[in-house]
Amino acid sequence: MADLSINVMVEHDDFLLSINEKISLTGITGIFGHSGSGKSTLLKVIAGLEKHVQGQLVINDSLAADLLLDSEAKKIVAPQQRNIGLVFQNSRLFPHLTVEENLRYGQTRRKNTLVNKPLDFDEIIALTKLDNLLSKSVEQLSGGEQQRVALARAILAEPRLLLLDEPLSALDDKNKILMLTLLTKVQKQLNLPMLYVSHSLAEIQQLANNLLVLSSGEITHYGDIHQVIHQLTTNNEILHQTSLSLTVKEHLAEYGLTSLALGEQQILMPFNRQVESDANANTNVRCIIAASDISVTLHEPSESSIVNHLQGTITSFEPCQSQVLLTVNCSGQDFFVDITAWSAKRLSLIVEQEVFIQFKANSVRTLR
Amino acid sequence: MPMNSAHPDVLALITTLKMAGITTIILMLIGTPLAWFLAKMKSRGKVFIEALVALPLVLPPTVLGFYLLLLFSPQYLPGQIWQEATGQQLAFSFSAIVIGSVLYSLPFVVQPLQKAFEQLGDDLLEAAAMLGASAFDRFFTIVLPITKASFITAASLGFAHTVGEFGVVLMIGGNIPGETRVLSIALFDHVEAFDYAQAHIISISLVISSLVLLSLIYLLNRPNKSRPKISKPVSSKRFS
Repeated sequence: MADLSINVMVEHDDFLLSINEKISLTGITGIFGHSGSGKSTLLKVIAGLEKHVQGQLVINDSLAADLLLDSEAKKIVAPQQRNIGLVFQNSRLFPHLTVEENLRYGQTRRKNTLVNKPLDFDEIIALTKLDNLLSKSVEQLSGGEQQRVALARAILAEPRLLLLDEPLSALDDKNKILMLTLLTKVQKQLNLPMLYVSHSLAEIQQLANNLLVLSSGEITHYGDIHQVIHQLTTNNEILHQTSLSLTVKEHLAEYGLTSLALGEQQILMPFNRQVESDANANTNVRCIIAASDISVTLHEPSESSIVNHLQGTITSFEPCQSQVLLTVNCSGQDFFVDITAWSAKRLSLIVEQEVFIQFKANSVRTLR
Repeated sequence: MPMNSAHPDVLALITTLKMAGITTIILMLIGTPLAWFLAKMKSRGKVFIEALVALPLVLPPTVLGFYLLLLFSPQYLPGQIWQEATGQQLAFSFSAIVIGSVLYSLPFVVQPLQKAFEQLGDDLLEAAAMLGASAFDRFFTIVLPITKASFITAASLGFAHTVGEFGVVLMIGGNIPGETRVLSIALFDHVEAFDYAQAHIISISLVISSLVLLSLIYLLNRPNKSRPKISKPVSSKRFS
């Protein structure tokens, strides 16, 4: 299994990036942080676009270790030699070339011509839905189209690793969703590892299997996406939320609901068009439930309009000013629940207690 | 028709075109990397080099010509080295007026190119590098096609300005027919000899040809829809 071993330091006037981590190059790794946390700088270091980097950067795969940077040995592999793709925030298409010429630019310069046969141009065009745009000038494209061209162009250069620097930030909601779906599909079909930088946790939660959190130039968390979001919630670093990845059980189209399996229990969410178009059951849905959207009852509510009620056990009780953050384990899954200290006292909630949590279908959120 | 039997003014025209042509080629070869270097340079030394390049814009040409005359004479090292290498004196030669013209017209080539390179920025070049293009590849496939108009402008201005030069050539070239006698000097001769008819012919030809050339440059640089604009980066200098 390939990994990227990073041990680098970058110093700017009032900013220090200091990273020492081995990142697994499988699936999509999200890199999350606020403005100025150093996430784009990290991406530039990996791409080779950042000058004055101290340290070492190595890509290890099953065959060999490929040294990209060793400042002590004065070895720096140029960006064009690294075989790493980068999709920028602004699509950076070449204005003097047509869409097709832009796409061919990377394809004719691809590095791994000896090992594999090239990706099928038409297949990538179909995948990114660019069929009708090939002969257009890039200035005729909408923002969403430009970003799709940028993505296809990067893929056709056949990089071993694709970096994405806030690729959705300039897009409207509709195009964001389109691109998210596309990225997931591309990742699956081509099995291309990706590092995805964003300041939107919701975006990353929809895509990534691993999450790396940067703060003031240092890694504060790295691991499985749901676990890291769990940690961030317990540390009060983000709005309290439960991040889930669940299997679709069935679609209740007539009620506009989709049922997700949680052990023996089920969760109902608003009917998800995306999930349906992905066809078959057994599809995974990623969703987030805000802790403030969940409430607790001592008995199973039978006469309530709230559709979701799950049985579980309180595993943690953390007072936080006038609020309490409860962790309730339902069928093996931890849910975060924010309630007032007053409610906690009134219901005399304690750890190990059996309770029911309830939330509306509409509070189960996905970006799609 | 052998050179020396041609009309002296035709000979001056040929010398002028030869001088301007060779000067323009040298200017493009020197000016392009210099403009690139200045566009990418961030240190404080930049303003000094920019001022140095722009100096011929404000200096009387005779000042430049005076110093070059000294340097080109066999008494000084550059002139001495030249004489030892070629066996000929540098001052009052065709080579001398070409070197003088290159220095004199340098800002007309460097400035439009530098501006074009600065406007182009790094965004597209970074994108091309990430797609596997080497520096040379990037120059010929991205920089040159996008800044083509600026290259044509730079070459035309360099050429036109060299044709119109007088002071430097007079100082370091003298007035040798077929070698250093260019149109502007031929014109001066005619005026001194009160041959206004010949002076008119040269003057009006220079006015018309310069007007045509400049019109073509402005036509080329007129903002129009068929010429692709460079998409502006949203934010290129952010860390995060």
